[in-house]
Amino acid sequence: MIIALPTTTSGEKSFISEHFGRSNFFYIYNTETKTGEVYVNANKDGQGGVGVKSVEFILKHGTNILITPRVGEKAMNLLSETDVKIYTNTDEIVKENIASFLNGELKEL
Amino acid sequence: MQIAILSGKGGTGKTLLSVNLSYLAENGTYVDCDVEEPNGLLYYQLENKKTEEVSIKIPVVNHDLCNGCEKCTDFCKFNALAFILDKVRVFKDLCHSCGGCKLVCPTNAISEIDKTVGYIHSGKIFDTNIYSGEMIVGLESGIPIIDELLNQVKNSSRNVFIDSPPGNGCSVMESIRDSNYCLLIAEPTIFGLHNLNMVYNLVKVFNKKVGIVINKASENSIIEDYALENNVNIIGRIPMDLELGRINSEGKIVASYDEYKPLFTDILTNIYKELNL
Ligand code: SF4
Ligand code: SF4
Repeated sequence: MIIALPTTTSGEKSFISEHFGRSNFFYIYNTETKTGEVYVNANKDGQGGVGVKSVEFILKHGTNILITPRVGEKAMNLLSETDVKIYTNTDEIVKENIASFLNGELKEL
Repeated sequence: MQIAILSGKGGTGKTLLSVNLSYLAENGTYVDCDVEEPNGLLYYQLENKKTEEVSIKIPVVNHDLCNGCEKCTDFCKFNALAFILDKVRVFKDLCHSCGGCKLVCPTNAISEIDKTVGYIHSGKIFDTNIYSGEMIVGLESGIPIIDELLNQVKNSSRNVFIDSPPGNGCSVMESIRDSNYCLLIAEPTIFGLHNLNMVYNLVKVFNKKVGIVINKASENSIIEDYALENNVNIIGRIPMDLELGRINSEGKIVASYDEYKPLFTDILTNIYKELNL
């Protein structure tokens, strides 16, 4: 299973970003290999459509689970067409949220 | 001749001034470029009223021809295209109609359709020609409509008065690009000065001739001081006058009343003088 999170800095100790579309990075975690990869969000400074581009990005990485505080309207509509499940974070740190999710402690949006 | 009437903020008398000057000028044309909030038309019972649609080109993707190479999504700088669930999606509201995606597509999967973005209403009243742009509510940009409006009066031999959009954005620049003269209107308050300064800085970039009209003129000399400092002429003062305000708010042309006509004729004469006409 692949988990995606928008983050402000890089790595599993990073803070979760408030903005799905305008986050600085994405953290993509693979639960089978228990490894995570950091990607720069290349579209974060776009005038518009940043949420849509983020959806495109996480789908490309085969994401099943998205953990984020909120998602914009356009991105939300797109995500609802997909099998991606969205969960709200309870903690500010990436690592803690992945752990909480795996323990079944996060709520689905 | 083309004159742009500008202000940093809406509701400062920009439409009042443009409507009345175009009414008085010989062979006057009034162009309402405030496409997000067009209100110049309220003044006129137009004869020969016409309405035209303005449309832009939006890409459509033929998914059968598309091979998923993503050249188009990479190309689009406006994030209007995204490859989602094995399909290229077009987000129309973000498209700037640059036509680039169609060019880069190796399989000719992209063609274009028209999307209506607004309207141009036109007509005539007395001796004045009227054009008014209207943008469909909720769209991102009024530029295509302003471009079309300006296109219609381009090379006109008439005296064209352009009611520019408020502020200092791209659409304002479009509206003054081909103007011979920029008329700035401001109220003598601290906010008024702030807004005036904003548009003045924009106009300066274009190297246009500039004049200022003070609306709701009072003893406060804040605008006069500014004009002096920047070496710009004050070419008119519209006084704080309840009767004038009332006539205007009823959608009537103030300059058609004898007592107010000289006020606007003077402004017009001053503009002509500044332009050596
Ligand atoms: S026409 Fe230009 S702006 Fe519109 S989708 Fe294609 S590349 Fe993007
Ligand atoms: S460029 Fe053409 S073929 Fe390639 S993804 Fe876009 S529409 Fe499909």
